[in-house]
Amino acid sequence: MFGLFKKDKEVSFIAPMEGEVVDIVEVPDQVFSRKMVGDGIAIKPTTGVVVAPCNGKIVSLLPSNHAVGIIDDDGIEILIHVGIDTVELKGKGLKSFVNVGDVVKKGDLLIEADLKFIESAGKSTITPIIITNMGNVKEIVKIQGNVEVGKGEVMKILIKA
Amino acid sequence: MEKVEVILNNKTGLHARPASVITKVASRFKSDIKITKDGREGNAKSIVSILSIAAVYGDSLFISAEGIDDMEAITTIKQLIENNFVE
Repeated sequence: MFGLFKKDKEVSFIAPMEGEVVDIVEVPDQVFSRKMVGDGIAIKPTTGVVVAPCNGKIVSLLPSNHAVGIIDDDGIEILIHVGIDTVELKGKGLKSFVNVGDVVKKGDLLIEADLKFIESAGKSTITPIIITNMGNVKEIVKIQGNVEVGKGEVMKILIKA
Repeated sequence: MEKVEVILNNKTGLHARPASVITKVASRFKSDIKITKDGREGNAKSIVSILSIAAVYGDSLFISAEGIDDMEAITTIKQLIENNFVE
C-alpha cells in the first residue's frame, strides 16, 4: 500500500530590509526578544527601504507607519516592526507606500524609514520581522549574516501539513 | 455572547506592545474574543488582527466574546485596557 504522505510546505521569505540579520533574542524590547508575539529574526538596517518579504495582503498598518502586518498567500502572518518604540515618533521619519487591503508581491515597497532621523530621536532602528501565527508553523530556518533588500532568502518557514 | 464597551486611554494607541499584552491575556480564555472599533473587527488572540483595527487614543472599543468563559474574558480584557495594559 503506497502511503499518501502530506508533505510539510516550505515557504521562502526574502529580506525586507538591507543590513545585518540579528537573532530575535538580541532585540532591545522584551515584546520581541522574549518571543511574546511570535518567532523570527531582526535586521540592523543600513538603508531605510522596507519591502514585502512575501506575496500576500496587507492586513494592518499602524497610523504611525512603523509597523505593517501581512498575511501571505499560504496564510502565514508576518509582522514587520520598523525600529523599537518608534510609535513615539508619531509618523515622523516614516513613510508608507501601501494601504490596508493592498495585495503585494515579494519586493514591493512598503515603507521608507529615515534611519538617521530615527537614530537622532534616540530610537533603535533594529527591525524585528516576526511570524505571529506560530501555531501553524513547524519550523523556521533563519539565515545569518548580511542581506540585500529584496534579494535572497532571510527565512524559510515550514508549515505543518 | 457577551459584549462590553471601553475607551482606549493609551496615548500611543493600540500599538505592538499593548496589542501583545491583549493577545497574551486573551489566549488564556477558551472563548472567541473580538475587539471592534467603528465596525472594524479584530481577533483578540492575533496581534496582527488587533493591529488591523488601528485603534488610537480616545477610541471607543467594543470587546465581545462567545464561549464558556465569555463573561470572564470580556471583564478581564476591559480591565486590562482600563489599567493601561498593566496585568
